[in-house]
Amino acid sequence: MAELTLDSVTKVFNEGGSDEIVAVDDLSMGIEDGEFLVLVGPSGCGKSTTLRMVAGLETITGGEIRLGSNVINDTSPADRDIAMVFQSYALYPHMTVRENMSFGLEESTEMPDGEIRTKVEGTAAMMGIEELLDRKPADLSGGQQQRVALGRAIVRDPEAFLMDEPLSNLDAKLRATMRTELQRIQEDLGVTTVYVTHDQTEAMTMGDRIAVLNDGVLQQVGTPLECYHTPNNRFVAGFIGEPSMNFFRMTLADGVLSGDEFSYRLPADIESTLGDATDLTLGVRPEDIEFASETGDLDEYDYECVVDVVEPVGESNNVYLRFADAPEAPTFIIAISGMRNVSSGDRVVATIPPDAIHLFDNRTGEALKNRSLAAVDGVTPR
Amino acid sequence: MSTAEDGRRPKRIALYVVLVAMAAFYLTPILTGLMTSITSPESYTGQSPYLPPLEPLLPGTGSFSLQPWTTALGELGRGLANSFILVIPATVFSGLFGSMAAFGLTNVDWRGQVGIYATLIAGIFIPYQAVLVPLTQFWYNVVPLQSLFAPLTVLPFVHEYHWKLVALIVTHTAYGIPICTLLFRAHYKKLSDEMIEAARLDGASVATIYRRIVLPLSIPMFAVVFIYQFTQIWNDLLFALTIIQFGDAAVVTQELVGIGVSQSGTNFPLRMAAALLAALPTLVVYVLFGDKFAEGVTA
Repeated sequence: MAELTLDSVTKVFNEGGSDEIVAVDDLSMGIEDGEFLVLVGPSGCGKSTTLRMVAGLETITGGEIRLGSNVINDTSPADRDIAMVFQSYALYPHMTVRENMSFGLEESTEMPDGEIRTKVEGTAAMMGIEELLDRKPADLSGGQQQRVALGRAIVRDPEAFLMDEPLSNLDAKLRATMRTELQRIQEDLGVTTVYVTHDQTEAMTMGDRIAVLNDGVLQQVGTPLECYHTPNNRFVAGFIGEPSMNFFRMTLADGVLSGDEFSYRLPADIESTLGDATDLTLGVRPEDIEFASETGDLDEYDYECVVDVVEPVGESNNVYLRFADAPEAPTFIIAISGMRNVSSGDRVVATIPPDAIHLFDNRTGEALKNRSLAAVDGVTPR
Repeated sequence: MSTAEDGRRPKRIALYVVLVAMAAFYLTPILTGLMTSITSPESYTGQSPYLPPLEPLLPGTGSFSLQPWTTALGELGRGLANSFILVIPATVFSGLFGSMAAFGLTNVDWRGQVGIYATLIAGIFIPYQAVLVPLTQFWYNVVPLQSLFAPLTVLPFVHEYHWKLVALIVTHTAYGIPICTLLFRAHYKKLSDEMIEAARLDGASVATIYRRIVLPLSIPMFAVVFIYQFTQIWNDLLFALTIIQFGDAAVVTQELVGIGVSQSGTNFPLRMAAALLAALPTLVVYVLFGDKFAEGVTA
């Protein structure tokens, strides 16, 4: 169990050639001992490359990776005491489950056979696969294979676990079950874990902290809720959260934001924090937009809208609205309770409260203002 | 319904006619050989090659006799033994080295491997005829194999002339490695990269990955390589003539050249029997492993 530090890590493919690719650009972050860190980002953002550099399966072009206090840049994968779970499970097809799980211990330790056997059986019991020990991978279902892959990593008792989208090949229901189980196992074992996924739901639900990457550059590292409520930039704001945040391009003049779809008067206290930026994007999350079905008197931040499409999710409805004054503009999404009934074509009123808006500088993408969390209540004990 | 069936029938008949004709074309020489080989040499007239020897029922066909086969067995005995001594080690070694080379060139990453692979593949295209003289020079003048091998003759069953077979084994192994590498590489390219990486992370060295993971998974390909190399090496005459030249170490292909030919004429039944006898081992190998060969080559 040790802390993992990435210090200005860079990876360049085909360096100097005409097809040079910078896959990871100056990435620095620290992962604490026992922490579950999720590396999340869209396809091609460099998260798998980063993971493979930590594993030793890719060379590092620049920077250092340290496990504990040891620099492991040039250590071979076999000597790093790191176990990895692959997306395709990568089990050895000609060996039984027992042999698959014993292989790592046989090759990287001097453990006697009896001890290996006991350890394997103990881990198999923890994973719930003891009856499968003498079967071959081809005879197992996807979920069972995944448990064997996990068991194979656990039995080695490594300094760190690396997981490369291990749940991607499972069906949705199994994925949800395994998510919880993985979290539980990691907490029980207390092993530092780096988990790569492109699924932001997995990132939000599983990580102690998440690190968002885009195009090889680290966008933000923080707890899931930090990234959700106080995103560093527009990319993180749009990536985290499902359905994703609504964005409106606006220009600021005289305290009023004007855009193609609507105008928005900025309260003075917000305006003063913006500096001299005028080309802005206003972001607001679907669940923060208030909603009234009748068109009565319109207050300051009320807007008349027409319902376009309703997506019932069950516990909520995703409603696509169009501004009544801007029928050609794209729709935006609000999330309302599943118990409220709306249909396409209804005329409604949407309210965008000023304490829920995020403002981003269009030039840099940086977040200039995030939503205020003052109104958030804690749970009051009885 | 009727039009589809009607259209199919003539095509089907034509197909079978072609297939039967091709089979007949290929099998007729063997049939002739078989019929000739069971004719007694004295009564052989060479006049009805396709008919079995059923004198006096069918005049001119010769009388039935298994003597050619027994004579052939006696005369080819040592040649057969020498061929087996040659083929088994050469096949096993060329397969093993080809497999190791293919693994190193396909599943392990290192600089310059593409160049080495290209050179190996170029080796497949070296015509045997071009290297005959250098080979003779190598084994007879450059490498003192004969004297190096001499001390081993104290072992039972080992004769002095066996050094020539050792030379031939080494030659066939060397010339077999490129094609074996090619065959294995096709198979190894399909192995999961992630599986090899998992083994590396599990602490296995390259040699261990080969021994415990890649080799067990190559068994189907070994069957293919085995059949191919067995056939090639068993049937080879050119290298055998060049390196063994003549004498006790001669393999069965060499002995086939001169069998049944003498001052008094050619003993055709004996030659046929000998040829069929020499071809028998490859036929058996094909029967036993043939389906794996078809699977492996097309995969």
